[in-house]
Amino acid sequence: MIDLSMIEWGDIAFATWETLVMTGVSLLFTILLGLPLGILLFVTASGQLLEQRGLYRVLSFIVNVLRSVPFLILLIVMIPVTVLLIGTSLGVEGAIPPLVVGTSPLFARLVENVLREVDRGVIEACQAMGIPTHRIIFGALLPEAMPGLIAATTVTAITLMSYAAMSGVIGGGGLGDLAIRFGYQRFQTEVMVITVALLVLLVQFIQLAGDRLVLRFSRK
Amino acid sequence: MIRIEQLNKTYRVDGREVSALTDVNLEIGKGEVFGIIGRSGAGKSTLLRSLNLLERPTSGRVLIDGEDITRFDSRRLHALRQRIGMIFQHFNLLNAKTVAGNIDWPLKCTGSLDAAQRAERVAELLALVGLTEHANKYPTQLSGGQKQRVGIARALANRPQLLLCDEATSALDPETTQSILRLLLDINRQFGLTIVLITHEMQVIRTLCDRVAVIDGGRIVESGKVVDVFLHPRHAVTRGMVAQSDPLTAAMLDPGHAFAKDKLRGTLVRLTYLGDVTYQPILSHLAAATPARFTILQGEVSSIKDLPFGQLLLEFEGSEDDISKVFAELDRFEIHHEVLQ
Ligand SMILES: Nc1ncnc2c1ncn2[C@@H]1O[C@H](COP(=O)(O)OP(=O)(O)OP(=O)(O)O)[C@@H](O)[C@H]1O
Ligand SMILES: [Mg+2]
Repeated sequence: MIDLSMIEWGDIAFATWETLVMTGVSLLFTILLGLPLGILLFVTASGQLLEQRGLYRVLSFIVNVLRSVPFLILLIVMIPVTVLLIGTSLGVEGAIPPLVVGTSPLFARLVENVLREVDRGVIEACQAMGIPTHRIIFGALLPEAMPGLIAATTVTAITLMSYAAMSGVIGGGGLGDLAIRFGYQRFQTEVMVITVALLVLLVQFIQLAGDRLVLRFSRK
Repeated sequence: MIRIEQLNKTYRVDGREVSALTDVNLEIGKGEVFGIIGRSGAGKSTLLRSLNLLERPTSGRVLIDGEDITRFDSRRLHALRQRIGMIFQHFNLLNAKTVAGNIDWPLKCTGSLDAAQRAERVAELLALVGLTEHANKYPTQLSGGQKQRVGIARALANRPQLLLCDEATSALDPETTQSILRLLLDINRQFGLTIVLITHEMQVIRTLCDRVAVIDGGRIVESGKVVDVFLHPRHAVTRGMVAQSDPLTAAMLDPGHAFAKDKLRGTLVRLTYLGDVTYQPILSHLAAATPARFTILQGEVSSIKDLPFGQLLLEFEGSEDDISKVFAELDRFEIHHEVLQ
């Protein structure tokens, strides 16, 4: 029924590579943007280390707005911005800015929640020792939250991978693009099946690797 | 060393003011082990946490070595806190760091020692609390008592002059509690460290403290030397606490419940005494010196910290004259006596 003879395996390998690059690079920028944002959300919240209610409300509002825009809409809305930033809105590079903007707020929220789970007593013990706030954050809070942060990163990486596939709709590269051009527009069901199977495999792999890391960093 | 003057703390809960501390005045001397006891919600934690400003008082002063710490800026407050150790009911160790890492952490943040000196200090502290062979374990691999020992070592890392203990043994079994209390007592004696502890257990106060304050509803209702408060509790809360830890004392304070009234013929007297007199043959002396006859109804001879004490419930029979002779003899030995009925 499924005829594998007409499949261009080279194309598929290249598309897989592109998907991995899009996910990897976007993940890096998402962490660079979302981690500080998440920490800021946590420490400025009411009753926390550097309580700043006004700032918290503003950040929280921005995060909520970005998170309420459906990703497909964000992809389209971002096109002029992306062109301005890197000169094109197409291909692998073109997909990265909307991916980062789409997932950073999610990651920031996840980070905030993970940090809230850290035992207050531990932070308090550090304060009682006279340790300055920035050292508490980087020397105690983040290491204590490490398993949770890795789990949040795993969730974000998987979200990024599915968003990256979605960016194929507006001409981003990778497996999503392949699935749309061959599987959907040229009715090559085989290509569709294989890209989906590959995505499933990649997601499984990321989750597995993430779980392994979480286990390694858990001291429970 | 510590002076608390007119301390008040109110919390705002749903727009209403809730008073946690009211007009608290206390003085704690250098090298002293001072206990604060009270029921749940009495304000113990709030009071203790005012001593390093984890909780900021609403009004009043907290003087440490003559300086009002409520006026310190954040830099001075950090410096002060580095000289005050604190241990907690739930230990509050960093799970991501090893035992040695936990003890090293405050040293590292102070930055006054280099890596080699820090390693030496950590080894010293591990030996002090008896955890040398557990240096590379993580807190989750330790028992409660071991975790509290790490907490103590960490609190002592920067050689504080003051140690605050927030229910440090409440999460431990009785045997482990005793070993932790012994360790604290050793530290107090070895380094002359001032210890302020809060607890709801009279037993902890008896084992460790020199003086005690009883707190109820945010007010200090009674305070003094542990033996005095223990043998002569005045406030209902104190009596309740004593009764819970020591039913015998409770029965002697209120013998009406313990004995059948119709069987008692004479005068019921409770004797209490401290120190050397505990080793004197008082009863045989009384028997020889006065014609009054007596029956021992109840009694306890024990010690609080290192101070021996005794309390006896006696029933005296004899003429009024005989009884007053008994009292005169007791006064001569400096034995406290109170007629109960
Ligand atoms: N952050 C807070 N906000 C509002 N009320 C508080 C707060 N912390 C304490 N209280 C109130 O202050 C009072 C004293 O609390 P505190 O924690 O000092 O009691 P405690 O004697 O330590 O009790 P426990 O033995 O249960 O620990 C309580 O009535 C408590 O409800
Ligand atoms: Mg408490």
